[in-house]
Amino acid sequence: MPHQCTGCGRTFEDGSKEMLSGCPDCGGNKFQFRPEGTDFPDDPDPPEAAGDDDAVPEEGDASVAETVGRATTRVRDFVSSTPDEEPDPNATWPSETGEDAPGASGGDDGTDDGEIIDADARRETPEEDTAQSSARSGLASAEEVRDVGSPTEADDPDPDSTAGTDGAAGRSEGLAGGTGGPPTEDDDRIVSEPSDEEPELSELREQLNDQFESIKIVEPGQYELNLMELYDREEYIIALQENGRYVIQVPDQWIGNDIDER
Amino acid sequence: MGLLTDLKSSISRATSSLFAGSEPKRIGIYGPPNAGKTTLANRIARDWTGDAVGPESHVPHETRRARRKENVEIKRNGKSVTIDVVDTPGVTTKVDYKEFLEHDIEKDDAVRRSREATEGVAEAMHWLREDVDGVIYVLDAAEDPFTQVNTMLIGIIESQDLPVLIFANKIDLDEASVQRISNAFPQHETVPLSALEGDNMDEVYDKIAEYFG
Repeated sequence: MPHQCTGCGRTFEDGSKEMLSGCPDCGGNKFQFRPEGTDFPDDPDPPEAAGDDDAVPEEGDASVAETVGRATTRVRDFVSSTPDEEPDPNATWPSETGEDAPGASGGDDGTDDGEIIDADARRETPEEDTAQSSARSGLASAEEVRDVGSPTEADDPDPDSTAGTDGAAGRSEGLAGGTGGPPTEDDDRIVSEPSDEEPELSELREQLNDQFESIKIVEPGQYELNLMELYDREEYIIALQENGRYVIQVPDQWIGNDIDER
Repeated sequence: MGLLTDLKSSISRATSSLFAGSEPKRIGIYGPPNAGKTTLANRIARDWTGDAVGPESHVPHETRRARRKENVEIKRNGKSVTIDVVDTPGVTTKVDYKEFLEHDIEKDDAVRRSREATEGVAEAMHWLREDVDGVIYVLDAAEDPFTQVNTMLIGIIESQDLPVLIFANKIDLDEASVQRISNAFPQHETVPLSALEGDNMDEVYDKIAEYFG
């Protein structure tokens, strides 16, 4: 139905003469044209189905799967759009406290956070790790940042949030989480109000760190987990600290020795 | 079974040339919180070794660290299958200490449990990647199986080519529906059981021997 009266919603075929003298139902004379094949949703911007690269098969909760797929694509595009630079070993972490445990994962110490994977992906993703490292430490343009979330939201966890969608970080966790709880306006699309002033670089970096983390601490005792990210990490998180850092064990020191060498 | 599994076990066989037989397969018991994973692990361990794996509880996230019971020898039809049973913390995308408050646990303790449970999920996901040769995926048959966590985990397990059995647990409950679970994951075999009551355990052991032997 290509034409729709904006007043009462009545639709008309393409070439219909009825509408030439106004809508016969409500007399309205504004019509919206939509090409064949689009439907008329009640609300604008219906969520579109995600592509083939969903992190999970789209059975079960389709809307979640779509969100996951869209977010995954977006994160992947964002990560891969960053050129391969050397990661900055001096990148700061949010809430730096200096109680550095041995092997603690710093902002960028060569540990791989892994990329969000497809369900049918295998284990070789070394180049994404570099890309992600540079995404952590490299400079992002304000435009890119607006694309993936608002800095004003990222550092402001909402204690009441149990929906897993409190701003950018919540959305990144939505790659793995976000079940239960009412949907919010940023469930479907990445929308953010650009702030008036250019955000500081450190803020951008923190924000990127937020977006790639495996475990988000909403508040002490409340956590959101990005299962795909956790699965895809090379290293093994053995302890959580409330300042948002993980104590990790690098793979070969922990895994395998006791079993394979027996 | 999957090619990968065969490869893995042939590698581990090569590294353990001292042993005549093959290494026991490590079977991870995965699933959402409160599906009955520890109850199942304990039943398997008690039935075949006399020991338990860990404390069972109705409080979610009672199991906050993966526990392993090694060399569980299951005898079926004149053959014997030896596995290592790995009981894992329930996998979820959210852990909230407030859940524990409902179970008369003080706030400080609840926060600590919550943190441990989160670490436990991270550990379980890591083991899934590195350290299991097969998976028993336990679901509460009285609950809706169509959750994101289940879909995602089953997807990951499939991507690893790991042999997997779906266990529809708690069939002793009135509202249990095994059919709902087999509909949710038609590509895998669903085995009904009650780990608590010990219902249908013969079939459970037959399937374990068939899939992981």
